[in-house]
Amino acid sequence: MGEIRQIAIYGKGGIGKSTTTQNLTAGLCEHGKKVMVVGCDPKADSTRLLLGGLAQKTVLDTIRDEGEDIELDLILKEGYGGTKCVESGGPEPGVGCAGRGIITSINMLENLGAYTDDLDYVFYDVLGDVVCGGFAMPIREGKAKEIYIVASGEMMALYAANNISKGIQRYARTGGVRLGGIICNSRNVDRELDLLRAFSKELGTKLLYFVPRDNIVQHAEINKKTVIEYKPDSNQAQEYRNLAQAVIENTDFVIPTPMTQERLEEILMEYGMMELADDYKI
Amino acid sequence: MAKLLDKQRYKCALGAMQTVQAIDRALPILHSGPGCAQKLSESIGSSGYFSPNIFPCTSINEKDVVFGGVKKLDSTIENALKVIDADLYVVLTGCIPEIVGDDSGEVVSRFEDAPKPVLYAPTAGFKGNNYKGHEQVVDSIIEQYLKKSDKKQKGLVNIWADVPYQDLFWLGNLRELEKLISELGLIPNTIFGYKRGIENINKIPDAEFNLLVSPWVGLSNVKKMERKFGTPYLHYKTLPIGATETSRFLREVGKFAGVDEAKVEYVIKEHEDYYYYLIERYADLFLENRVINKQFTVVSDAHYALGITKFLANDLGLVPAKQFVVDDTPKNVRESIKEEFKKLNYGLEAEVSFETDGFKIHSEIRQHDYHGYPLVLGGYYEKEVTEELKGNFLNIAYPVQDKVVFDNSYVGYTGGIRLIEDIYTVAVSRFN
Repeated sequence: MGEIRQIAIYGKGGIGKSTTTQNLTAGLCEHGKKVMVVGCDPKADSTRLLLGGLAQKTVLDTIRDEGEDIELDLILKEGYGGTKCVESGGPEPGVGCAGRGIITSINMLENLGAYTDDLDYVFYDVLGDVVCGGFAMPIREGKAKEIYIVASGEMMALYAANNISKGIQRYARTGGVRLGGIICNSRNVDRELDLLRAFSKELGTKLLYFVPRDNIVQHAEINKKTVIEYKPDSNQAQEYRNLAQAVIENTDFVIPTPMTQERLEEILMEYGMMELADDYKI
Repeated sequence: MAKLLDKQRYKCALGAMQTVQAIDRALPILHSGPGCAQKLSESIGSSGYFSPNIFPCTSINEKDVVFGGVKKLDSTIENALKVIDADLYVVLTGCIPEIVGDDSGEVVSRFEDAPKPVLYAPTAGFKGNNYKGHEQVVDSIIEQYLKKSDKKQKGLVNIWADVPYQDLFWLGNLRELEKLISELGLIPNTIFGYKRGIENINKIPDAEFNLLVSPWVGLSNVKKMERKFGTPYLHYKTLPIGATETSRFLREVGKFAGVDEAKVEYVIKEHEDYYYYLIERYADLFLENRVINKQFTVVSDAHYALGITKFLANDLGLVPAKQFVVDDTPKNVRESIKEEFKKLNYGLEAEVSFETDGFKIHSEIRQHDYHGYPLVLGGYYEKEVTEELKGNFLNIAYPVQDKVVFDNSYVGYTGGIRLIEDIYTVAVSRFN
């Protein structure tokens, strides 16, 4: 058994990080991997599909109600395929410091011995954009060494991905954190695959996998399940299995080379925006 | 680039809890971590109506950082009002709640109907030092508590000068300024120290004018009072020490207040006659003493550096070497303060350096040729370097470690004499 692969998933808010992470986790389970998912979002919805609902009391709520002298089983629930699920949680919107909350809860997990030797993967599903030091917690202090950014062909998603890369670059200089690639969660944007390939290349990384858009994902979500659990025979379930395979086999870890806003816009113009403008009709 | 700041002479803005402490029957309520008050408190001469460091405090911990500390603040204020009988409660915030974004102002506003006033002063350390914190507390009183007055009282003068406890002589200095103002027939009003408190705070808007005796601290306060209450202000930059400056001070205040010139001159003559009688008695000491040499250096905040430099040059005829101002003076007022150091008698000018680093200051003192034993008036930090140079040292500014000060003062004619006594006591005791 090798070292635990600790992986942080970043990306623009609403891009599908939680959905992708959980479906990817389900795929890894099918490969017989032991996975822990740590939701690092005050909304606490990173493990809903694995647990069959928002069935979990968050670490921070538990600390608030019970104090710091707690047992691991209060905050760690077992979900689909034996995955271990934790939600960091956070304060109510508008008060307190969610960043510090993530630091507190990850420290708590360590102290309680959540990182057991039988784990193959730990995923940190980190909210939206990196807004302060707290949200970089999973990639600080040598926790997650591997990062994937979920993006799509939409401009703001790529803008966020580029911005996140700046954060990774900062931590990569002093620590061992590396970018493992871009995962495209397709929005059916024109020439999305080409655009994402070009974008990834410019960042010095690769497009790890292109997950096509399929409404079955939404159906599975309504049923509080991953696609693999909901419709194991569907095409989309196979896509997530392939994604899991790509993660398992990935050995390309780089320090990203974020681009300037001008360069980002150039790439966007080259791969789609120009044509869109030409085709624009009312 | 980060650097080490050696021998810093001020605290963070939360140190303004001492400004509140100096107001009779006023109580600081701290929204901060548990160690702040302990580290910021002065243990000598600051107990009294309430302890110098056991203030009501939210003592916020990690849980409050994550979830916000406003509930704790609410209950701390509520209980402080129940348990501690005070006339004025001032909530001071430290760095943590200000970074986390606790809306402390909103919490304090819930106590608008409390039987006693509760105010809020954002004094996070990253906002500046305790000189700025002091201004913030006064600002909160002006902004949140006081209202414009229709009944201006003729001759009533608010006096603003020292930062309490940062300056150990604050009480005596304020009392002496009050005395001088009274002698001009004006009615002084100060808010710090014995029997001042809330009643005097209430009188602030009634004053005919504000008198600020300070190079820069408090300027924003008197400007705000001019806007809010329509109270004009006289900014007298030099702390008057000794006859030359005190007489000048009385003339300027008298002129601003419209006091009869003959009356002002009468007051001045009475004081000067006695002052020079005393000086004359000891003239042989000044003349024959070979220990107090020509050149001196002051290391202190702008308030004392300017006041003492003028006194030593104008009244004692000493020659200024370089003077060091250590209060992290705001850059926009440095030039005007520098100009003040050039206004010395006998065509003298003093070079001044705005330097907060003790190591650099001491290096310059070591390198300077004082043409004999240096006379250094400064913080206790300067004791060692002065001894090393076989100089004469007097501890007059923060940190003060070698004397107990109740209500002694170096202000005015009397204060000038006290300062001469202290300096020459050092001189005459050195070979005894």
